[in-house]
Amino acid sequence: MEEELMQIKNSAVSMIIEAVDQKELEEIKLQFLGRSGRLTLTLKEITKLPKEKRPEIGILANDVKRVIEETLENQMSNLKSQKSHEIKKRIDTTAPGIKPNLGHLHPMTQVLYEVVEVFKSLGFQAADGPEIETDHYNFEALNIPKDHPARDTQQTLYLDTRNSKVTPGDIILRTQTSAMQGRIMEKVKPPLRVIVPGKNFRYEQVDASHGFEFWQVEGFLVDTNVRLTDLFGTIDYVLRKLMGKDVKLKFATTNFPFVEPGVDTYISCTVCGGRGCSFCKYSGWSEIMPAGMIHPNVLKAVGYNSQKVSGFAFAIGLSRLVTLRYQMDDLRLLTNPDMRILEQF
Amino acid sequence: MIAPLSWLKEYVEITLTSKELREKLTEVGLGCEKITKTSDDTIFELEITPNRPDLLSIIGVAREIAAMENKSIRYPEPKTTLKPSSHLPGGKLLPLIIKTDPEINPRFTGVIVSGIKIGESPKWLKDKLSKMGQRSVNNIVDITNFVMLELGNPIHAFDYDKIEGNIMIVSQAKGGERFESVDEIVYRLPKGAVVISDREKIIDLCGIKGGKNSGTYNNTRNIFIRVPVEVPNLIRRTSVSLGLRSEASSIFERGVNADGTIDALKRCVDLILEIAGGEVASNLYDIKSQEFKPWKLKLRKERLNQILGIEIPVKRLMEILSALNLSPILTRDVVEVTIPTYRNDLKIEEDLIEEVARIYGYNNFSKTIPIGEIPTNQIPYFKDYRLDEKVKNILKACGFSEIYTYSLIAEKDLIEGINSQNLLRVDNPVSRDFEYLRPTLKINLLKALSQNKSNFKKINLFELGKVYFGKNLDTATETYFLSGISNSKSFLEIKGLLEKVFEDFGVKEDPAKYIEILNSDVICFEFDFSEFTKRIKLNKKFIPLPKYPPIVEDLSIVTREDVKTADIIAEMKSQSSLIYNISLLDQYKNSRTFHIVYQHKERNLTLEEVSKTREKILKSLREKFQASFKQ
Repeated sequence: MEEELMQIKNSAVSMIIEAVDQKELEEIKLQFLGRSGRLTLTLKEITKLPKEKRPEIGILANDVKRVIEETLENQMSNLKSQKSHEIKKRIDTTAPGIKPNLGHLHPMTQVLYEVVEVFKSLGFQAADGPEIETDHYNFEALNIPKDHPARDTQQTLYLDTRNSKVTPGDIILRTQTSAMQGRIMEKVKPPLRVIVPGKNFRYEQVDASHGFEFWQVEGFLVDTNVRLTDLFGTIDYVLRKLMGKDVKLKFATTNFPFVEPGVDTYISCTVCGGRGCSFCKYSGWSEIMPAGMIHPNVLKAVGYNSQKVSGFAFAIGLSRLVTLRYQMDDLRLLTNPDMRILEQF
Repeated sequence: MIAPLSWLKEYVEITLTSKELREKLTEVGLGCEKITKTSDDTIFELEITPNRPDLLSIIGVAREIAAMENKSIRYPEPKTTLKPSSHLPGGKLLPLIIKTDPEINPRFTGVIVSGIKIGESPKWLKDKLSKMGQRSVNNIVDITNFVMLELGNPIHAFDYDKIEGNIMIVSQAKGGERFESVDEIVYRLPKGAVVISDREKIIDLCGIKGGKNSGTYNNTRNIFIRVPVEVPNLIRRTSVSLGLRSEASSIFERGVNADGTIDALKRCVDLILEIAGGEVASNLYDIKSQEFKPWKLKLRKERLNQILGIEIPVKRLMEILSALNLSPILTRDVVEVTIPTYRNDLKIEEDLIEEVARIYGYNNFSKTIPIGEIPTNQIPYFKDYRLDEKVKNILKACGFSEIYTYSLIAEKDLIEGINSQNLLRVDNPVSRDFEYLRPTLKINLLKALSQNKSNFKKINLFELGKVYFGKNLDTATETYFLSGISNSKSFLEIKGLLEKVFEDFGVKEDPAKYIEILNSDVICFEFDFSEFTKRIKLNKKFIPLPKYPPIVEDLSIVTREDVKTADIIAEMKSQSSLIYNISLLDQYKNSRTFHIVYQHKERNLTLEEVSKTREKILKSLREKFQASFKQ
């Protein structure tokens, strides 16, 4: 019995090692381990042995079975890798791969999603509002009455009022996403943390860093104790998240009628590395995020008590952020549908 | 505003380098866009915000430097007392009657100087003006310009002898009056423009331009010098309506230093007497309805520190306010300041907070993260950007690239079926190419497609953007459309893509109606994405896997080609609840092969059940569509 088992083991192993394909291995497996295979039949004989011998033989038989199975498995995988190797030999693996046919998301979309995510992590929700806007929300509610000189800095595209009841000048294409401050604040009470990405329109001569249609992300936060240092901290956090932690920033005073104190944020120009170029008007810095503490008149206009709540507001020049991010030297590249541009992103 | 370093140094000591000065000026609010070095000077180009008319003068800029550097300022010392000269011919003053209205001209300050000699300006004056980008005219005009640039109060000199009837009347134009400016341009005045007339004619467009008919020329001997305060709104309206801007109008529309007229007049007269000779030949005219005096404001220390987020030491606070010439007086926790009339931008406590913050230096502040609780209620106008992202990712996976195009389009680009009469239009477009608000994204997609043709064979593009509707502004609406264009995908591929989108968003609808075949190889799709997102159902629910194996088979059916596949599938499905799914496997001419999955939820199916169902299907198709079964 023991001898027979050893014989089975030896012949099975040698047959397996010599086998050249999977089919042959399957046959060998059947021949030894199948229902009427040699090992199976021999195992059935064990019951005929004297009781005291059975455990010993049993152990041996199991061992033989295990060896055959392992050898089979090894040979099987050997054959497989040999085959793959042979196939590979017939291919030029240095040739470029065949890429899946994927499209490309516009760089503006990619950056915008990051902006939305970064602000989400600070508790800001995104809102979307009309581009055809009233003079009231775009200017008046933001402490910019008619005849205010600040209107010069935002030359407006007026809509044709023919055949309508609208007074000329009352409905315009919004010049700033800040128009959404009034719309949202008049509907709810603080605390508020809001961003408003969107397109704006201005009567502006087009050049490398200005367009008559451009994207901004407006943002504002109103609560009981909002400080100027919160604004600086938020801008710093957001721009470092978006532009890398080593980005150079500086703050400066500016004036928009809807903030006081007013803040402007400059970022070291990435197009020229700060040396000065046409994109940054040879200053080495690019204006990226005007901001400030919300003016008491704006809070009053929506019925908030400016002695009890305060807030800050900012606007990220999204179009400019995108161009600075990818070192594109002209805003107009963003509205150029040339696939040679799109496919880089 | 242009500011030559040498000129600034006449009023304030400057120890900073040009680069440092540029940085600091920008930080305190005078955005310095450019520095130009000339052979003998450094010229700063400053961007002045609309709230700071005082910075449209060299002395104003010098005052800012003094404030940020904590230095003192040297004002020019006036010599004249503006008293009439005692040597006038015949000892007589020159007569002039002034009729004005403080409602439209809050202050009218002026004096007559007689016996001047018009000539060329001295070199120092010409040089100064030239550095400021101004052309020299004659000594009188140059002096008035110089004093405006120096002190910030616009000044106009009239030829006294051309004022008919020795009378000046300030009034508002009725509209349509003709006016020729000193630079010889003729304007038709808008209603409400503030003008000065003599007995016969309009001689001045107040606050904007002087008239040609009363200017100073070579033969001018006697002049009237006017230093006014104008009403900002009135000046601005006229200036905007005429498209006529001047240095004077920029100052007046922002608000001139109302208490500065006498000082400016004195400075001007000093220089005239020195350069052009002559004598003061009238009493001082100073017609006003109110005193223009400094005003007081209070700044609470606690409020300051609360808004700023940092504690500014009292000593530093007082130092800053003094440096700004605000004469601070501290009582307990409140600082009372006195605002000089040239700072009419300082009206409320927050304005003072900014003053302190900017001189303290924005870049010296610490940075904090807002401490309040994060709001949890959904805001009005909420937009879920994940939806945009989701749909864009599907399109990207299907080989489409995204474009962003202009909302404004040209009339010439309108495609068939779109009439410009039905579109919203911009009154003052930047060019005819960007005049109408697009009612579809198709137009720009088509242009994008043809633009790419020379470089690419297969073009698949999409845009998610706003479109605008309304025959006029009363009915104007805007909504987001999702549109795509392809020259390389079949109708069914595009349909499949949209089916995938609709399925993923849980919208049950056949998207075929959103697809348009433009020509043999260009297909586009377009639908209202804003409306679509109102119908979506994103809550998915797991359906347990069937416990029993399905039976599948393929059936080939022959029918007329015009029978719709959707109708056949619907008919087949309606035959039995055992049919789990049917899909079209293949189609060739009038023969269609369907892949059918039979499934019972609670037990194994028998072949007999399947064959019965199949018989039922074939029978109904035969009856309904005269279909036959192909073996």
